[in-house]
Amino acid sequence: MPDVQTAASPYLKPLPDVSSLNRPFWESLKRHEFRVPKCADCGDYNWVPYPACRSCQSEHQEWTVVSGDATVFSFTVVHRGPGAFNADVPYVMALGQLVEQPRRCNVLANLVRVDPDDVRIGLPIKIGYLEIPGEDVTMYRWLPR
Amino acid sequence: MSFPGRAAAIVGVYTTEQARFLDRSSFSLQLEAMKGAVADAGLTLSDIDGLVSYDRTAYNKAPWPEMFWATQLGGRPLTLGEPGQPTPGVAKAAMAISAGMCNVAVVFWGKAGWKLGPGGTPVPEKAPRVSEWSYELFGGGYAHFYALWAQRYMHEFGVDSEDLAQVAVTHRYHATLNPESVMGARGPVTVDDVVNSRMICSPLHLLDCALDTDGGYAMVVAGADVARDCRRKPVWILGGAEAVHTDCYVTIDDPWFPEEGQSVRRAAEISFGQAGVTRDDIDVAGLYDCFTVTMLRDLEELGFCKVGEGAEFFREGHTRLGGSMPCNTDGGLLSNSHNGMPHGMHTIEVVRQLRGECGTRQVPNAKIGLSLAQGASVHGYAGTLIMAAD
Repeated sequence: MPDVQTAASPYLKPLPDVSSLNRPFWESLKRHEFRVPKCADCGDYNWVPYPACRSCQSEHQEWTVVSGDATVFSFTVVHRGPGAFNADVPYVMALGQLVEQPRRCNVLANLVRVDPDDVRIGLPIKIGYLEIPGEDVTMYRWLPR
Repeated sequence: MSFPGRAAAIVGVYTTEQARFLDRSSFSLQLEAMKGAVADAGLTLSDIDGLVSYDRTAYNKAPWPEMFWATQLGGRPLTLGEPGQPTPGVAKAAMAISAGMCNVAVVFWGKAGWKLGPGGTPVPEKAPRVSEWSYELFGGGYAHFYALWAQRYMHEFGVDSEDLAQVAVTHRYHATLNPESVMGARGPVTVDDVVNSRMICSPLHLLDCALDTDGGYAMVVAGADVARDCRRKPVWILGGAEAVHTDCYVTIDDPWFPEEGQSVRRAAEISFGQAGVTRDDIDVAGLYDCFTVTMLRDLEELGFCKVGEGAEFFREGHTRLGGSMPCNTDGGLLSNSHNGMPHGMHTIEVVRQLRGECGTRQVPNAKIGLSLAQGASVHGYAGTLIMAAD
């Protein structure tokens, strides 16, 4: 079952300016799916999404559901943050390396529901979803797995 | 194919006051720097016919700042309008001059009124919309990307905070010998001072991070015929290169620390090849030190030591004044100034060293120098320059 929470209102942290190219990704988040472009020609996953496959430059990529499972590739515990984030310090930003292969995808998001002192490289994590009241977008985050 | 080595030289340099806050406009700092650099060369503003302009914003929102400056400087045709980093920008100006495109180019930057860091940014009234893959979605900034990089680097190579801290200690020591530096007057710091300074984003403490200051600078590049009549000893351009392998702060592909290096390594190889010098020939260097970890990675990627061995190499003292290749003798970005796009500051200090102008921080007999700029996704965008004085 996907982990879904609702953010406190009002949500004052930055949100994405959704482009038509990447709209399928953001719409999928609302359905609690995490979709990564997968090249129909060479099979590589591509993260961050780009208009063409970064391995072979094919424009035939398909938004493919992934498990959401990952491990921490790197992280930082932030003690001084911009704007509305500063109220949350210390908070964690983590790069999660998706378990899907072959091309390794490092996905950046906040890692929540874990003590910052317990975060380490290699920690198993998974994608969770954060619904934003009053906004037409759902955000994603990392949780301990 | 070869670089037109010694066809052009840096003939004038200037740095404005550098400070946490300057009650000036960015334009005014840029103009002051241009005027100062041409005066240093014994030239005038009307001698300038080429621009390397890192600041792409322009009064009246012209798409190319050269258009604004052409009018601002009096309406003479400017025959070089080169965007991009100041460091390889000097080399590109040298190439343009040697190809007859222009005669005297100025490479310049100035910034006041905005900060790089997130400190004190107000809470907005509504969620702002930002680019879809921006670190801003997750409360990050440039420092956070370097923190992710440092964390992974320390994990892969068994490097700790004390290893990083020695960079801050040495660069602060150098700053104490530079009366123009922002931090030199505060005196030296110890490794304990650095690791006990407050954590900004782990593993980077306050003193692991560059300053966030206002200021400007400029460099004037001219051909050999003009250079020989200028006021100062010419600093000849032997080679320079740029390289980019990643987009700006959105993703860094794994592996992060390949043995064969990435942009910095590639730019270095090109430059050493152009210049016909070896790493052992470098007497003095200015390497981009936005964070302590960056300095160690610079040394590795430039090929002065192997990947993962930067801390050990640094600890041996080669880059400290008195060592075999003093680096960042002005205090660098950590203790001199980081004025937004400070890449030219390292080159200017190397120029001053090669001219013999550095007083108590002078490297004796400095003849060949190297500067390195990098940024925008941790070593993702690099530029190198190799220079020599007679």
